[in-house]
Amino acid sequence: MQVRPLRVRSVDERGIVVSGQGDRAVDVLFDDRRVWSFWVRRDTEPDRLGRRLAPWPTPLRRFLDGTARVVVREPGSPVSHFDEEISFGDGRGRIRVVNGRGVELGFDKSGKLVPTFETRERGDIVALVSATRSVLDALASAGVRPFLGYGTLLGAVREGAVLGHDSDADVCYVSDHENPVDVARESFRLQRELGRLGFETSRYSGAAFRVDVAEGDGVVRGLDVFGGFLSGGRLYLMGEIGVEFERTWIHPLTTCRLEGVEMPVPARPEKLLEVTYGPGWQTPDPAFQFSTPSRTTRAFNDWFRGLSPNSRLWQRRYARHVHQLPRRRRPSEAARRAGQEAHRLGAPVLDVGAGRGADSLWLARRGHQVIAYDYAAEKGLAAAAAAAREERLALEVRPLNLTDWRSVLCEGARLAHSPGPRVVLAQHVLDATDTQGRRGFARWCAMALREGGTLVAEFHVGDRTEELEWSISEVDPHQLAESLTESGARSITHTEFERAGRPTVRLVAEW
Amino acid sequence: MTVNVKDKLNVVARVRSRAQLEQRVSDLEADMSEMRRHNLRLAEIADVVQELLIPMASRDEAKVQEAIERFNKSL
Repeated sequence: MQVRPLRVRSVDERGIVVSGQGDRAVDVLFDDRRVWSFWVRRDTEPDRLGRRLAPWPTPLRRFLDGTARVVVREPGSPVSHFDEEISFGDGRGRIRVVNGRGVELGFDKSGKLVPTFETRERGDIVALVSATRSVLDALASAGVRPFLGYGTLLGAVREGAVLGHDSDADVCYVSDHENPVDVARESFRLQRELGRLGFETSRYSGAAFRVDVAEGDGVVRGLDVFGGFLSGGRLYLMGEIGVEFERTWIHPLTTCRLEGVEMPVPARPEKLLEVTYGPGWQTPDPAFQFSTPSRTTRAFNDWFRGLSPNSRLWQRRYARHVHQLPRRRRPSEAARRAGQEAHRLGAPVLDVGAGRGADSLWLARRGHQVIAYDYAAEKGLAAAAAAAREERLALEVRPLNLTDWRSVLCEGARLAHSPGPRVVLAQHVLDATDTQGRRGFARWCAMALREGGTLVAEFHVGDRTEELEWSISEVDPHQLAESLTESGARSITHTEFERAGRPTVRLVAEW
Repeated sequence: MTVNVKDKLNVVARVRSRAQLEQRVSDLEADMSEMRRHNLRLAEIADVVQELLIPMASRDEAKVQEAIERFNKSL
């Protein structure tokens, strides 16, 4: 039987309609720039005529106003299945898929519309390769044996270059330790070492962190450092690999050239690439998706993940308004109550989960001493901190991550070190974290309020909380009260009311 | 076709045994997950002890504050 070849039937506002048998990846180019790649069966939906529609991804839709020469072709090959001028919207002007700074964007391997390497100048790539080399050297000096991993290893081994559709660099190491406790401790230590050497870092799991590398035009490129370990003949490499593997396939490391620079790679890189990308790793696939076995995902989730749930959501939300003050000028009812308590006790207010700092600013402007805490403080509270400096307010911004014991214990110890009563304001933070975060909060209150004070907290309760984008798990007010009592609360009162159609609780606790 | 009582009971027993087995696997997964989660908590506590306890034991106020700030910044 003859296999029907791939044909592109049409390209319009809905997406790209294809027909043919078999599944394969194709690239989509606008005016010679790759913007997207998809698999012709996996990423498409059937229509009534037996054809398949690849709908435009949502982030791309907002750019579809104007005209572009649209090409659909085999990845990295001149063979095209479609090549025509297509108009979208009113068709005026050329379509440019760029960010606010005019930097060209494309979909990377994680399905994000970002400045991929193929849209970058040669100088930016050289800078990133050089930064990767510096991070590798820093990790080696800290005592591990790092090597290129994931897409960066694939690019180095297959093409001697960074992959055009990639947008970050990945560095891995396989620890000498064999249990997750020591692997996490080692990762904590490595992050500190890199911090001491002047690298900007942020952690997203117990065995992985990110190093930020700024490029010339303000694009900040992430360089991920993934920890791994061998145990019982299995290699666990954060965050996708959990397979039977030989130690000798990793160590001793060998080298490979990336963009002309000598880089460390595993002893048998092809073995690692095969377990990462499958036996077809030598064929380019810009639309590759990991199909990590649930056993591996479960193990990584349990061992290392959950350190900052939903933080990406908040970072994304706050990133849009980093330099803008919060629009809300009026305080929340909880903030008013916290202000009254602070006045009565002559105590500072600790605003936990301060968000963009509307309540903190209001309290500070009324003369209260305030510390605004958030786990996304850097982005969320940047504008509030700047306003506080300008207005000479007694408002300090500090990071606090309720789901990370290190953060809870460290900040708790700092507060416990200076005496005096305090007022804690927790406005919709207990319903924005998980059980671990609520336990962390109670533990932190025990330290912050050990010399007396008041907690004023508000949170939604009931099934409908789940409808909120930022909700993680429902608060059980009785369980929470129990935790707070164990943490030293002497009296607790609950008031139930409705806010925005949702049942809400105000909890006031005295220490 | 007639199905005798013994066969019927066998089917019921098999279904019940399979349901019990599924429940046991699910319980084991939950228990294992709970135990595995202690790894990260233990690592966090060990890290706090290592980085903060020693400076705090020195009772030198400046060193304590410095250690806390340095540790906080490294998170």
